[in-house]
Amino acid sequence: MSRALLRSALGLRAPISRLAAPAVPRATPSPFSPAAAAAAVAATTPALTSVRLFNQTAQHVEPSQDPAVLLSSNPASSSPRQQPPQQPQEAQQPAQPPRPLSPAVRALLPVLAAQPGHYIRIHIHGRPFLVTEGDSVRLPFRLRGVQTGDVLRLDKASVLGSRDLTLKGAPYVDERLFTCRAVVTGVESEPMRVMIKKKQRCRRKKHVKSKHRFTVLRICEVRVNGEVANEA
Amino acid sequence: MTVRALQKISVARNGVGAFVLQCKKMDLHYCDWAGSSKGMNGFIKSLLPKFAAAHPQIEFNVSPRPAKHPVIIAHYINGREKAVCVRNMEPFEILKKAELLRDASGEKLRRVTKPVSSINESVRGIWSPYHGEGMRV
Repeated sequence: MSRALLRSALGLRAPISRLAAPAVPRATPSPFSPAAAAAAVAATTPALTSVRLFNQTAQHVEPSQDPAVLLSSNPASSSPRQQPPQQPQEAQQPAQPPRPLSPAVRALLPVLAAQPGHYIRIHIHGRPFLVTEGDSVRLPFRLRGVQTGDVLRLDKASVLGSRDLTLKGAPYVDERLFTCRAVVTGVESEPMRVMIKKKQRCRRKKHVKSKHRFTVLRICEVRVNGEVANEA
Repeated sequence: MTVRALQKISVARNGVGAFVLQCKKMDLHYCDWAGSSKGMNGFIKSLLPKFAAAHPQIEFNVSPRPAKHPVIIAHYINGREKAVCVRNMEPFEILKKAELLRDASGEKLRRVTKPVSSINESVRGIWSPYHGEGMRV
């Protein structure tokens, strides 16, 4: 019985008919639906890279997706497309009142927004990247939990500037003041490099191969909000 | 003096407006006799239908290639191809290779030192010794 389950999970045989019913979401492997979780598949199946993370904030849901999406039993990796409305409220901490902006910032923010060009120093996992709109950023790591084509809204920025004005955050700029969006355009890899380790007077050479993969983003929007709507 | 427009060639920036997946076609070759194609046959039967349905922008072409190892050849918009031999792999390993090919652009692998590449002019302008605070002697 367990051997049959193992073989059907590995895809070597057609799935058993009673397990293929869609009413039993836990037994049907569905690695490509947006609601897939590694926990929903049999324990012997290796985890796939199709899990989407970054679901702390309520996401913009495209209405054109098919409604027959399997919800996983694991709440931590729920669907970014069809998130139940109660979940963002449970996941967020009790909302702190927004800190008021200083009068200098409030006075000069429309001037900054009116200037023709802007740059922003965004932070991804703490690492800074100085970008303008339309730039392509090849991160020095592979960003997990995203798929090609996803749109990320970056909220950590330490410097937001234009030709004559610069807004510095301590350590980050208030996220109500700007909007920065990036699209994941793909994952590229470096050429294979081989490190040869050898000691003197010993003939043995150890070859260590490396071929790292890196996520590539395209910054599609950098915008300074000239007026902040919800000010304290 | 007439007002004339500056002539500029438009440069494609995939993602700024619409995002277009760079992989446009995948050829999958399998063999019914070779033992190295067992995983590929299982992949085509079990995992490929959903993978193909999830990517309607990629054209999938499945054809037998007798007495050869199984291979996936991905064609990209810039005209290049990437072939990955998937001999002796399990279906889920082949799925990972297919996802690798889907995420790649067709560019050759090259070592990149600087993370940000941009075609925009500098926002703050080029430094000049005559403007700003000047030099104190």
